[in-house]
Amino acid sequence: MADHLDSTEPENEFEHIDFAVREHRSLWGDAWRRLISSRTGRVGLVIVTFFLVATILTHFFWEYDPKTDLDYTLKLKPPNLVPNEDVESIHPFGTDKLGRDIFRRVAHGGWNSLRVGIIAVTISLLTGGLLGLLAGFYESMPMSAVTRALVAAAMSGILGALAAWIAGQFIILILFVALGVVAAVWPSFLAGQKARYGVFGGAGMVLGAAPALLSGPFPALVCGFLGFVSGVTVATSFRGSVISSTIMRAMDILLAFPGILLAIAIVAMLGPGLDKGMIAIGIVGIPAYARLVRAAVLSVIQQEYVTAALSIGVGQARILFRHVLPNTLSPITVQATMGLASAILWAGALGFLGLGAIPPEPEWGAMLGDSYRFLTTGAWWAVFFPGVAIMLAVLGFNLLGDGLRDALDPRLQN
Amino acid sequence: MTRYVVRRLVELPLTLLGVTLVIFMLLRFIPGDPAIAMLGEHAAKENVERIREQLGLNRPLFLDREALAEGDAAGFFDSQYLRYVGRLLHGDLGDSIHRRISIAGELKQRFPATAELALSSMLLAILIGVPVGILSAARRNSALDLVSMFGSLIGVSMPIFWLGLMEIMLFAVLLGWFPVGGRIDPTSDLNTVTNFYIIDSIITNNMPALVDTLKHLALPAIALATIPLAIIARMTRSSMLEVLQEDYIRTAHAKGLRERVVLSRHALKNAFLPVITIIGLQTGSLLAGAILTETIFSWPGIGKWTYDAILGRDYPIVQSGTLLIAFIFVFVNLLVDLSYAFLDPRIRYE
Repeated sequence: MADHLDSTEPENEFEHIDFAVREHRSLWGDAWRRLISSRTGRVGLVIVTFFLVATILTHFFWEYDPKTDLDYTLKLKPPNLVPNEDVESIHPFGTDKLGRDIFRRVAHGGWNSLRVGIIAVTISLLTGGLLGLLAGFYESMPMSAVTRALVAAAMSGILGALAAWIAGQFIILILFVALGVVAAVWPSFLAGQKARYGVFGGAGMVLGAAPALLSGPFPALVCGFLGFVSGVTVATSFRGSVISSTIMRAMDILLAFPGILLAIAIVAMLGPGLDKGMIAIGIVGIPAYARLVRAAVLSVIQQEYVTAALSIGVGQARILFRHVLPNTLSPITVQATMGLASAILWAGALGFLGLGAIPPEPEWGAMLGDSYRFLTTGAWWAVFFPGVAIMLAVLGFNLLGDGLRDALDPRLQN
Repeated sequence: MTRYVVRRLVELPLTLLGVTLVIFMLLRFIPGDPAIAMLGEHAAKENVERIREQLGLNRPLFLDREALAEGDAAGFFDSQYLRYVGRLLHGDLGDSIHRRISIAGELKQRFPATAELALSSMLLAILIGVPVGILSAARRNSALDLVSMFGSLIGVSMPIFWLGLMEIMLFAVLLGWFPVGGRIDPTSDLNTVTNFYIIDSIITNNMPALVDTLKHLALPAIALATIPLAIIARMTRSSMLEVLQEDYIRTAHAKGLRERVVLSRHALKNAFLPVITIIGLQTGSLLAGAILTETIFSWPGIGKWTYDAILGRDYPIVQSGTLLIAFIFVFVNLLVDLSYAFLDPRIRYE
């Protein structure tokens, strides 16, 4: 502040007011400057950097083999910073029930947490992001003829697959898909809307029922009905919101489960293991990204530069990837940072429940789950330090996410 | 408004159906035959077949195309999934594999335990979180604000299972103020009526049991309340800060109202909507968080039951426990959305 007041002397004034020659600043450069000037962002950045550097150095330069790490003579020794007559080696965090140095295991556990976090977030980000992008884009953009045909083929194809399976006649699937494509490419001005329903509903009924007759009258009845439904569906003047609402309803069903519960259920199905934990946590995260990206796309598409690009005839794919996607990156960055925090937390919970990392693999949550039965004997260190490690890593990513949100969206001031 | 409510109510059964489908598929694709899990590896083949028949495992998963081809229209729909949905509609959740007890009966015992824990935690979180949020907003950037906001960041970053263990170590093992786990002392003479032990001990006028229940409840409730408490405090603060910038707040100050009145009458009323949403969303998550908390504190609720069933591969229980928690979550979310529409007349749903 003091410097500022000093520099407002008359001879300097012109230099400061001349906005025209202000150096060029990119969005991300600006955001970075705001990030390191906020206290939350700085603290988060320091913790995250420490966590990343320590983890990577430990993993590559400090050898550790969990399978051979075992020394019953050192079972559950409290932390010591200087060697004493009982314990000759130094264990700053004490030892666990198998006499393993907890400091060493906590340090190596970081690699697993980091891996889970990054892979889980990548799974949710790629899948959820793509679904959200499609949903948002087709909700507000007209479909091209090819997309329209593809969507119609998919809609009738799903019912076609069901009908083909019921009747045991593969040909029904092909017929239904063809029906969908024809309905999509046949412009509606050749027949009124009511006529379209009649033509395609009837065609679908025949295409479904006729081959199914080979399997019997009842399958023919059911397949005829499916064909009728399918024909009427593709004959409607459906819009892109069909894609959007299909995707978002599926996301709603995933969101109907509390996150950790779904992760536990998925791991219960896949079997325990760190890699399966990553997949489970990744799947659980998908709807959050899908909703976020869809909302971001919907607001970006309203902007004038998208309208401008459309009006000069830029293709849809180019608009999507050149103009829309880059402008949704800042909310995604924030969500991904926060997502890393919750992925680490959930991996810890799964590990604690014995559904994540499999012992003797060093993982913070699994270390807690391994040792908590010894709490009543007073061995607090075996539980305390892995938990602190989880908390600090999660706190770091949360702080960084908070800082990033403020830095990337200067309009939010709280 | 009416249209919105109707649409949400129509969507509800579809969402619930989707939930049953996801749970059914997750559990059907678990490797291993439930009939063998029930009888053991060395069971006689005809016994396994009989059990499979009993459980309906010999039926197709979704639809029976062969029955249809033979002209049996009713048999077409006689599948594992549709039988499962049909049984659910009758309130029949099946039996445990390992102990042949009715799951629905066991849930009646265990649900109140989880509900008591979750509701107490929520109450705790609201009673502390909302005032802390209001004060932080009113005294923005004061020491109280900084401490409480940093505290809430720690709160959302804390693994609750770890917090629970630390509580046990400090307050149960070292200080001995609270019991290590369980819901009530096994020697207690409480007569259960509703299975909500607090209510039971009050209506049967059993003071020692009430004290004992509260002592058992304290540690798990605090552990479970931490995350919602932190989130509610943050939400209340940011929502209040937004409202406090409004013109009518300045007017209220200008006409000489006391700050307490401005905060409670003018600001809080308008800042409360997002807080209610968060409270609703967190209530659902609490039930899921109960899996961890109940496991640590040996709390005999749905969460621990489901977890034990996962370890013991007792899939009907896993299915029912997961389903119940997900259903409650869906209902609570619906209530939140609808209450939103009623509470804020400015919101119009099209």
